[in-house]
Amino acid sequence: MTWRRERWSADHSLPIGVTKRAQVGERVRAGDIVAAGAILAGALRVRGARRLGVSPSDFDRELRMRVGADVVAGAVLARVGRRFPRSVTAPIDGRLLHVTVDGDLYIAPIVDRWTVRATLDGVISRSDDAVVEIEGEAWCLQGAAAYGPDAIGELTLGVEGRDADLAPARIDVRLGGRIIVAGARVSAEVITRAHACGVVGLVAGGVSPAGLRVVYGDAVTASGSPSRDERPTVLCIMGFGSGGLPQAVYEPFAALAGARAAIHTASARLFVFSTAAVGRPETPSPDLVRRDEGPVAAGPPDPAEAEPPEAEVEQEEPASER
Amino acid sequence: MTVSAGPEAPVEQIHIALARSLRVALLHGGEEASRLAVVQLALASGAEIVARIRATDRRSFVEAAQALRDAKPDVVVVQGGSKDEGDLAELLEALRLGCGAQRPMPRVFGLVDTSVAHALRLRADPFGFERFASASELIEALRGLRRGGDDGDAALRDALIEDAARALASTTGTSALAVDVTERSTSLVLARPDDRVQAAHLVPLGLGMGADHVVVRASLDNVRRWLPSPIDAPALLERMFNRARGPEGAATTGAAVLLEMALAREAIAHALRDVADAGYDVAAMRSAPSILVTGRLASFPKAGQSLLVLVDGLEPSAVSTVFREPDEGGAERIGMVVAVSLRRPAKIRIVRASGRSVAQVAPGTFGLVAIGDDVDVAVSGSGVRGHGRSGKLGLLVDARGRPLSLPERDGERIPAVARWHAALDAAATW
Repeated sequence: MTWRRERWSADHSLPIGVTKRAQVGERVRAGDIVAAGAILAGALRVRGARRLGVSPSDFDRELRMRVGADVVAGAVLARVGRRFPRSVTAPIDGRLLHVTVDGDLYIAPIVDRWTVRATLDGVISRSDDAVVEIEGEAWCLQGAAAYGPDAIGELTLGVEGRDADLAPARIDVRLGGRIIVAGARVSAEVITRAHACGVVGLVAGGVSPAGLRVVYGDAVTASGSPSRDERPTVLCIMGFGSGGLPQAVYEPFAALAGARAAIHTASARLFVFSTAAVGRPETPSPDLVRRDEGPVAAGPPDPAEAEPPEAEVEQEEPASER
Repeated sequence: MTVSAGPEAPVEQIHIALARSLRVALLHGGEEASRLAVVQLALASGAEIVARIRATDRRSFVEAAQALRDAKPDVVVVQGGSKDEGDLAELLEALRLGCGAQRPMPRVFGLVDTSVAHALRLRADPFGFERFASASELIEALRGLRRGGDDGDAALRDALIEDAARALASTTGTSALAVDVTERSTSLVLARPDDRVQAAHLVPLGLGMGADHVVVRASLDNVRRWLPSPIDAPALLERMFNRARGPEGAATTGAAVLLEMALAREAIAHALRDVADAGYDVAAMRSAPSILVTGRLASFPKAGQSLLVLVDGLEPSAVSTVFREPDEGGAERIGMVVAVSLRRPAKIRIVRASGRSVAQVAPGTFGLVAIGDDVDVAVSGSGVRGHGRSGKLGLLVDARGRPLSLPERDGERIPAVARWHAALDAAATW
């Protein structure tokens, strides 16, 4: 287990019902939406080829809407003939979901929308209805297991030493939108409080399995539990229980603090998008500077003291563009 | 692995293939027979079942497609009759929607009639559809995929365990059960003298990488109840999760041995539940006159530990001779189990070449009688009688009753479990 800066790839599995997705070769940044779609309810099967009197193999030619398009009730989906036309119309508002081998159509009502965000700065290397894959360069730390949805945010050091634990009292809403390095161990209380305060992810040496069960349910296992639903995100680096971070792992956190980062839960990896030379911190972490100011671990700088967003963007160019 | 029940069998050198994990989704007809057929196929092939959908499933088309996409199967096994054809065709449409973009694409294996296969083959496009005439052919095909094309001299562990059970059945002329527990899998194979075999290889369910799955299925309290010392639940859970993170060698500390023993009991018990759910003959497994234990279960430092785990997990119901054969060693006969369920005290009559003896057995009795000969045993009033050779440890009389129930309270359960460990010299330092 060590920090490595090289070219990585990250798969992003897509649910059924994709509407649009980034195309191969497109450049994206972590946090960008790479796919969007609809959550669909029970689908209706509508007779297609048989209704038009054409063979299933010819039916595709007669379709007036592409598969995956949103349709309104009464919309013509397929049509043949001029003087005596025959047509297939949508019985409900929804999504034209699928064409069967028999030339029938499935139309499903839309009940909600979903989006999938990139977890890596880079270029789309694969894009289809099941997966969007991104390749890009970043600092990466391979963890043992990860739980919850992917998370993207600013990396913030939450503890003052590699053996320290993050106390629940040090988490507040000012940490919203960040990925917190939580030290040697996180408990269920820390996970739930961080989630309630808007923290997007926690990275820790060890995680209490009993705490994981409280948060993610009794079916959780040691191999992780990537999901898409609204839950906390936890990356466990060393194992389960209390795992003091090795110096070689902890020190780079200080160097990389403040950079954009992402937790890719399917591969249990932490990506950090920074050009900093890990091991030789160029600038001290803001947290270390502000150690005497109460819940600093938590403490993001005041807006007045913060660097202008433009400067930050310049500092964090996608590595692949360098 | 040596395949022999004799005291000095020739050792046959066999290379065991490193089988890869195979994820299978099962699509089956509405009838119970169809469900049993596909579950038995999956268990016999040692594949991991990642999705099961019945033709009459209440899930919507979209939900079925999403379930199949999330499952990411390597193979989809389809089984059903002609009246299930329409429903199975719809499930294959759900498979096209869910897994059409999966790379590599899943393969579809059908155990169906020719006419049904013809109809389903069209609907399985663009997946490769292969029809199999018999379950054994399909199992062999699935095992071939697990071997990953490595077809040299290497054999899968599953096949070796089945061979061992067959060899034992043919040597003893009675039904034989092989129980194998490894880091990631648990196997139960019942072989009969006429060469019929019922095999179940459950993955992931084991003592190392499958340990967390044992905890998920059995619950932490059910694993903890077998420990002869108190331990708080969070600490035990941490140990279980850390076991699951990587391969481990044989347990070296007393605590590790006791933990593995607890896990192995629940792994066997849950394997039995799956076997019962698949329609296999669990009663025949429990009453098999010969039982062979292998893998990590046979590698515990003391023979009594292997025997104790077996009787607690399997709950034999008759007179059985127990052998154990570790991966790195020869087979040995470790004991004979006489399991009886009593409501009142009874007499056990033991007849051997040097004479006969009669002893009193009270309900709840659990202990060894040190005899190393061929013996005939009969327990009055229980209908239990049998013949066997008692082996290294002797004859174990288990009158704890079936199903085996443990006291709820720690104050009663821990002394009872510690007593059982002591009775078989299976205790270890926690």
